[in-house]
Amino acid sequence: MTKAERRELQERQRAEKASGKTGSAAPSTPAAKKGRRGSLAEGLSTPGSAQKGKETKEGVSGAVGGGGGEDAGKARGLRIFSHFGLPKPITSHKGEIHPAIVRLGLQFSEFKITGANARCIATLTAFKSVIQDYVTPPNNTLSRHLMTHLSPQISYLVAARPMSVTMGNAIRQLKLEISGTDIDLPEQDAKDALCDKIDNYIRDRIIIADQVIQDTAGKKIKDGDVILTYARSSVVEKVLLQAHSDGKKFSVIVVDSRPMLEGKNLLHTLSSHSIPTTYLLLPSLPSIITEATTILLGAHSLHSNGAVYSRAGTAMVAMLGKEYRVPVVVCCETYKFSESVGVDGFSKNELAPINKFSTPPHSKSPQSLLSASTNENPYLEILNPLYDLTPPTSITAVVTEVGVIPPNSISSIPLALGRNMI
Amino acid sequence: MAVPLVSVPEFGLRSTHSQAISVSATIEEEPSASQEFNVFQVYQRILENEEIATPLAAILALTELLDHSRAGTMFELVKELNGGAEVLKTRTSNSISLNAGCELFIAFVTLFPHESDSFSELKTELVKQGQQYAKEALTYRHKIAELALGFIKDDSVILTHSYSRVVIQALLLAHKQKRISVYVTEARPRGFGVKTYEILTAAGIPCAMVLDSAVAYVMDTVDFVLVGSEAVVESGGLINAVGSNQMAIIAKAANKPFYALAESYKFHRLFPLSQYDLPTHHPDILSFPKPAHRSSPALTARPSVHPSIAGHVSTATEELPTWKSGLLVKSPFQMSMTPEQISRNPSVDYTRPDLISLVFSDVGILTPEGVSQYLVGMFAG
Repeated sequence: MTKAERRELQERQRAEKASGKTGSAAPSTPAAKKGRRGSLAEGLSTPGSAQKGKETKEGVSGAVGGGGGEDAGKARGLRIFSHFGLPKPITSHKGEIHPAIVRLGLQFSEFKITGANARCIATLTAFKSVIQDYVTPPNNTLSRHLMTHLSPQISYLVAARPMSVTMGNAIRQLKLEISGTDIDLPEQDAKDALCDKIDNYIRDRIIIADQVIQDTAGKKIKDGDVILTYARSSVVEKVLLQAHSDGKKFSVIVVDSRPMLEGKNLLHTLSSHSIPTTYLLLPSLPSIITEATTILLGAHSLHSNGAVYSRAGTAMVAMLGKEYRVPVVVCCETYKFSESVGVDGFSKNELAPINKFSTPPHSKSPQSLLSASTNENPYLEILNPLYDLTPPTSITAVVTEVGVIPPNSISSIPLALGRNMI
Repeated sequence: MAVPLVSVPEFGLRSTHSQAISVSATIEEEPSASQEFNVFQVYQRILENEEIATPLAAILALTELLDHSRAGTMFELVKELNGGAEVLKTRTSNSISLNAGCELFIAFVTLFPHESDSFSELKTELVKQGQQYAKEALTYRHKIAELALGFIKDDSVILTHSYSRVVIQALLLAHKQKRISVYVTEARPRGFGVKTYEILTAAGIPCAMVLDSAVAYVMDTVDFVLVGSEAVVESGGLINAVGSNQMAIIAKAANKPFYALAESYKFHRLFPLSQYDLPTHHPDILSFPKPAHRSSPALTARPSVHPSIAGHVSTATEELPTWKSGLLVKSPFQMSMTPEQISRNPSVDYTRPDLISLVFSDVGILTPEGVSQYLVGMFAG
């Protein structure tokens, strides 16, 4: 028995087991059918149903093993990436889900609200209405019971789209505030106090922080500069607009990439404010990087070792910037700090739903690689990780509301501010 | 009334030419912050003391301003201090290290616990604290010299740049216990290296002058590089007399340690992204002459060296401070830069943190990352 054969057997057994467990796996997805036909290609897999695989005694190789393909449209993906967060279908949840949360969940899963800041603000705002509509059940106290009421709401949101670090930090802070609520306080007063706390959090940690970052990062923009940025970050956008309204003469290069093409939004905003802007896609970056004087980037979160977790493609821009000695400046509020240490963009990431972004905007050819793939071609897996990790070595400085700091000193910030919590 | 100072003596120690010119231009319209008290004069008087560095002089000048201040509230006081700091900043050529001192003192005043019974008491307490700090700060150099001693092996060859009091103190201390020999760069255009050379030779340290352009030549024979600093910035990098950066780059290329000595009052909350992001940088520095219009026959108006050099040199010797005359008037045909060309050159440069091995300061021996962590802690608290 060769190695490949043995592995094949193992995989098959594993698949049998899995199918036995789920039982109801759809046996006749198009992918599966296709898979049977494709059995000529030895050693390659069908990501289709395991039952079919068993019947046809088909080879399932480990390398391209299907990630338990109940639904070819959704749950496909390489097995090695199966730990990445992928939007799950929203199923029934225990407890009552507040309508504001249901709406928010839909907006998250439809990618109508994206971006760490926007999602955090939207979540906190929705929680405010949840808290206002909450009634403490008899024989319970708000400080003890409210959190159990919020938990299903949170898990509903997480099911819609994996939680962002910012939401995690904000929710942790909210939990702390809830548990610290005085039990003798009248219920309405306690709820109002909590809503005030949420408002303050949004104001202090996001809005004011952004204003400080605008000022600080704006000082780094000088007349005649060419600022390069990637995709769209709300903070970077604000910095650029502020610098422009301060009368600085600079131009912007917006680098963008599929699948989300978020840079288009930034491009629209900048050009409507008559800032000279160039738009290009990531592959053409090397030919234009020497034109840039500063690279301004946004962040989803910032690990304590200084690594920046941001939109996929950011790492490439930053590394190229370092290679060409262009200063790489990351704008990031301190509430985006994450206590974990990030080493690569592989251990933690999120996959974009394939059907959402994989069709090219103007795919004319019917044989287009991508359009054919999702439903028909079983040998093609599409992977759209949403984020990547930029190592601290390729970052010159991080602009936060407490000042400009080198990435390797990030870990000392919460300590210096006297917070034991981010 | 505010009497505009018309004739300010040329601020010799740290001024470059272009900036001296711009300073005298701004003096006329700019009123001094406090009426009778002229913080800049005080600052200059303090600086006459050889032992006192710029940031310390700024702290002392602000302390004196505090003493003379008639502010009745903390808010007024801080406002007055900020005004004084602003005056100092606009009047001096190179405000980086001065700023470090001012910021440190103002941060100290604002964070000082208000425990006194009355405001005047608080003020005297602050003045006392300021003077005490300055007194204490004078011992920092000795502390640093002792820290550095452990890194100086017997029979070391050390390369240093320009003139730095703390480096000289460290070298003199090392000389008492170990055999050392020192290379000193000339450090054009100010030529402060000569001063270092004279002091060290007088102390009996074998010493050789090195041209700034010969640093790479000498690097292989050197054990390590020891430089002072004008300011240590938040990135962990260093701002020092121009030439330090290339020295650090060469040291890195030759795998030689590059040590910086800096008193903690030189730690500055500033994050230059590049040389051109320094507060001392302005568009005139190393700018190309404005291209003449193609149609006009004005090409001769470009500063070309040969036709005009004789004239420039003759004016130069009159205008230049004494340190220059020795260099320039050897022969009328000597190829040298005109003062105007020199004034278009930077006086300080920025050394990236990854080129620096260690920073010795009175708070300990720090890595560049350590410096930035210290700075974050110092100003965040």
